[in-house]
Amino acid sequence: MSTEFASAVGAVRALEGMLLTQQDIVRMTAAENDSELRDILASTGRNTAGSSEEILSALEAESGETWDFLSNYAPHDRELEILLYRNNFHNLKAALKALIMNTEPERLFIKPTSLNLAELPSVVASKQFDMLPDYMTEAAAEAYGILTESLDGQLAEAVLDTAALRAMQEEAERLKSGFMTEYAQLVTVCCDIKTAYRCSIMKKSQSFLETAVCGSPELDRTTLVREAMKGTDSFISWLGDTQWSEAADCLSRSPAAFEKWCDDAVMELAESAKTKAFGIEPLAAYFIAKETEIKNLRILLVCRSCGASPETITERMRRLYV
Amino acid sequence: MNSFGIALAVLGAVCAALFAGIGSAKGVGLVGEAAAGVVSVDPSKFSKVLILQLLPGTQGLYGLLTAILLMSRIGIIGGNPAELTVAQGLMFFAASLPIAIVGLFSGIAQGRAAAAGVGITAKKPDQNGKGIIMAAMVETYAILALLVSILLIYNIAV
Repeated sequence: MSTEFASAVGAVRALEGMLLTQQDIVRMTAAENDSELRDILASTGRNTAGSSEEILSALEAESGETWDFLSNYAPHDRELEILLYRNNFHNLKAALKALIMNTEPERLFIKPTSLNLAELPSVVASKQFDMLPDYMTEAAAEAYGILTESLDGQLAEAVLDTAALRAMQEEAERLKSGFMTEYAQLVTVCCDIKTAYRCSIMKKSQSFLETAVCGSPELDRTTLVREAMKGTDSFISWLGDTQWSEAADCLSRSPAAFEKWCDDAVMELAESAKTKAFGIEPLAAYFIAKETEIKNLRILLVCRSCGASPETITERMRRLYV
Repeated sequence: MNSFGIALAVLGAVCAALFAGIGSAKGVGLVGEAAAGVVSVDPSKFSKVLILQLLPGTQGLYGLLTAILLMSRIGIIGGNPAELTVAQGLMFFAASLPIAIVGLFSGIAQGRAAAAGVGITAKKPDQNGKGIIMAAMVETYAILALLVSILLIYNIAV
């Protein structure tokens, strides 16, 4: 029996005690004014000096700090790195778009990432895609070709999105990581349903859908494409008869409800790591928990600045790990 | 003097100290790793996790105790080794096996249980006692093995 990452799991368990609780979220949602909200945020150990934008950018930085912390304990861990695949592909998309539009990509990059962001624009510009991780090389060349030859940004994006999901599934399978395989498949299901639904609304062609939908053992690609081609009502009705009926309910309510369902489903999976004393699962779960916490705070701050009601904010709050 | 008999008895003492010690070292090391992770984030929990780290250390002490008793019984300590037949030597060797083998495995198992207890302490410090109790349950089997080893050592006729 593996006792890997005992030290990291110990540290993560200590950090879990500092994650926001449901009570913190309720208090922040109910805060009567900005000052009270800042006081509550400060009580959770965050620096609340500066404007709302500064607080938001400090929150974004927390995600990178969390990754750095985990990386110290599990440096270059291939299983854990699967969590960064989507960020990596997003950054590749940003670099490609910036190249085509002749702009600086830096502001479009997101962290954490395992790519060298300083070199990425030049790698893309010089078409040295073999300098990217293996799982990105082929998709990067294909997306570059589509963008430069047909300027079809949507198709290039679809190619990279499906490549990210496929790479996550393949790497998790290769590493025989049960947790990461489940994670990759769940994320793929969420993205595929969202893509198929959107394509159905926009009446995209079957060939586009076939490129944009990745597929997984949990939700077959061919069936998903076929059902999406029949129209949105038919698609939701079909989805309601599958094991993803909850997703269908949320999708029929609103895109925001579906997004929340996706995040909650991933959190439910992460919660399975609570009972693990060793291994990579508690580290991955903590990363997911921290990302969710940051997302909740971002939603809360943005909604409050827009004058949204506490009920609307509560509706959008994601399930918490603790 | 039948030196093979005494050699077997000495080998028994070595096994008791060696394997139980290895079990403890592995167990304490594992809990130490988990505890260091917690203390790196929250140094105030040092004393609580230290108790958990000490738990798997007892198997090594039981092995040491068994080895000393055995060496004393066969006269190694004191410089006057007893004359043992091969059968007597084998019996002493066999007497050391319960604590040697159980000490090895229970030390590692207790280390795993205590490391999981460190997770409880890190997240819910007020539940620390439960983590200690769960890890201490493993101790029962090391104590039973120690008891058997001691009873055997004292009851083998020299």
